[in-house]
Amino acid sequence: MQTSGTLKWLGLAIGAVVMLALPQLVTSSFAIDIFIRILLFSFIGVAWNLMGGYAKQLSLGHAAYFGLGAYTSTIMQVNYGISPWIGMIAGGVVAMLASLPIGWLCFRLRGPYFTIATIATAQVLMLIFLKFRDFAWGAEGTTIPNLGSAPLMMQFEEKSSYYYVVLGLLAVGLWITHRIEKSWMGYYLVAIGEDEDAAEAVGVNAPKIKRDIYMISAFLTALAGTFYTQYIYFIDPATAFSFNVSIEAALVSIVGGIGTLWGPVIGTVLLETTSALLQSWLGSSVGGIQLTVYSLILMAVILWRPTGLIGFATDVYHRTLRRKPARA
Amino acid sequence: MWETLAQAVINGLLIGGIYALVSIGVTLIFGVVKIVNFAQGEFVMIGMYISFFLATQFGIDPLVSLVVSMPVLFLAGVLIQHFLIRRVLGPNDMPQIFLTFALSLLLLNLSLMLFSANYRTVHTFYSDEAWHIGGLYIPVAKLIAFAVAMALSGLLWVFLHTTDLGRAMRAASQNRDVAMLMGINPNRVFAVAFGTALALAGAAGSLLMPFYSAYPFVGQVFVLMAFVAVVMGTLGNVMGALVASLMMGIAESLGIQFVGADSGLIVVFGLLLLTLAFRPSGLGARRGR
Repeated sequence: MQTSGTLKWLGLAIGAVVMLALPQLVTSSFAIDIFIRILLFSFIGVAWNLMGGYAKQLSLGHAAYFGLGAYTSTIMQVNYGISPWIGMIAGGVVAMLASLPIGWLCFRLRGPYFTIATIATAQVLMLIFLKFRDFAWGAEGTTIPNLGSAPLMMQFEEKSSYYYVVLGLLAVGLWITHRIEKSWMGYYLVAIGEDEDAAEAVGVNAPKIKRDIYMISAFLTALAGTFYTQYIYFIDPATAFSFNVSIEAALVSIVGGIGTLWGPVIGTVLLETTSALLQSWLGSSVGGIQLTVYSLILMAVILWRPTGLIGFATDVYHRTLRRKPARA
Repeated sequence: MWETLAQAVINGLLIGGIYALVSIGVTLIFGVVKIVNFAQGEFVMIGMYISFFLATQFGIDPLVSLVVSMPVLFLAGVLIQHFLIRRVLGPNDMPQIFLTFALSLLLLNLSLMLFSANYRTVHTFYSDEAWHIGGLYIPVAKLIAFAVAMALSGLLWVFLHTTDLGRAMRAASQNRDVAMLMGINPNRVFAVAFGTALALAGAAGSLLMPFYSAYPFVGQVFVLMAFVAVVMGTLGNVMGALVASLMMGIAESLGIQFVGADSGLIVVFGLLLLTLAFRPSGLGARRGR
């Protein structure tokens, strides 16, 4: 136990040093852009995974919170000149509050119909923001005024600064997941994910736990929304509430390993690297190729390895190194 | 005012017939196989492209190509059930949801690659025809689509209620375990249910082609409508899905007419959320089930 604990800390420390040094070693802005995408979608995946992975509440509507976060900070910044750092937290709070009525409605359904209801809520929010022309710019959206180097307004000249911001977000997300995983709440979540009725029968207050984890998940997803808008200097309902955000949040977790700490990160590395390679080989001229490949990977994972890459790696590890039967 | 209202109701009812074909498929699969087919809309899209290519390459009328699109999609459904869906049936939700979801993504993006995002239309001699009754305007193509959709729904009802296979499907949807004990072969019943549902989606595609454009994302519109109708009409209930679909069509049309051109979906989703809030088990649910 002692050695494996030390090894774990050592691995984590080395990983942290590598991640911090990466933008200094790799200076190509194309590469840093890909790193930022990987970190961002890892973070969104981590946020999704808290509810979708541990409690198996399979949402395909997390774009709702991504969009609310993005719009809250942008409206505060463009209309009132408030720093997006404050707007980011405000966006998180707005998303948390929005998750209460949305959860109240959607948690009435279970399984696939919960999923459909979450899709509907994200779509409704997008449609509503398309209609808000007075204070949210309607369908045209708006560009964020470029202030040059303004760290206090979350605007940087160096791409690497954005890298560190989103790296920090991911670290926070992983730390929260780790804390929850080791707490009573983590066990309750897994129990609900395994069998909600059985969990309730042994005294788990499932509605309360689901509500709480939905709030946390929504809060984190909203932070990603603010970051993304600041990064691309643009917002409109179609990007802020994009169905692709909801899809990718779920996909990276499932491909990497649903309900595991590192699953979303590993899934994002695989999917985003594949996507970047495809783009450099084929160019972006062939529409639909990225999601075609994603869906094939997703199908392969579901049919052959429902535990994702992490489950696959653990299996291989146990078979080859430990010669112990792997857990199914 | 009354004419506008009546016109909106007629428009909604006519398109509601198409929604019904899609929803009945979704609810049939849900009732018998106990999964939600997220890819149902993509099969409508495939039905449309089949009719489009038969019309442009061979000059076959979209309504005639129904006899191609329906069997092709029935076969596709049987194969998908046999090779894909069968492998994920079980107590776990995740593989079921994301397998059909992946299928939907795959078909959508493949067609985007193969056919591009362009809108494809077929112009038939009745595409612009319309009857004027009083002050009302009834497009012939939509009326034919509605009539055929209702006829197919009726045929399905007769099939489910009078044939052995249909009864077996209903039995399997009421209580799968007892049905199996009575000697019903689940794989056969599931394959027929999936195939039938996809054939209905294909029919919807062919019926749409004379007055609607085919493009890769077209299925999304219909599948969202179908999901809402299926939730409102009580999951797994064919009649419920039919009635709810017609209501959805009318609600959407009234939304477009009286709230604004882009408000149809808001009205529909609003109805879904209201249903969830007040009658989560659907409008037609019997109490104490």
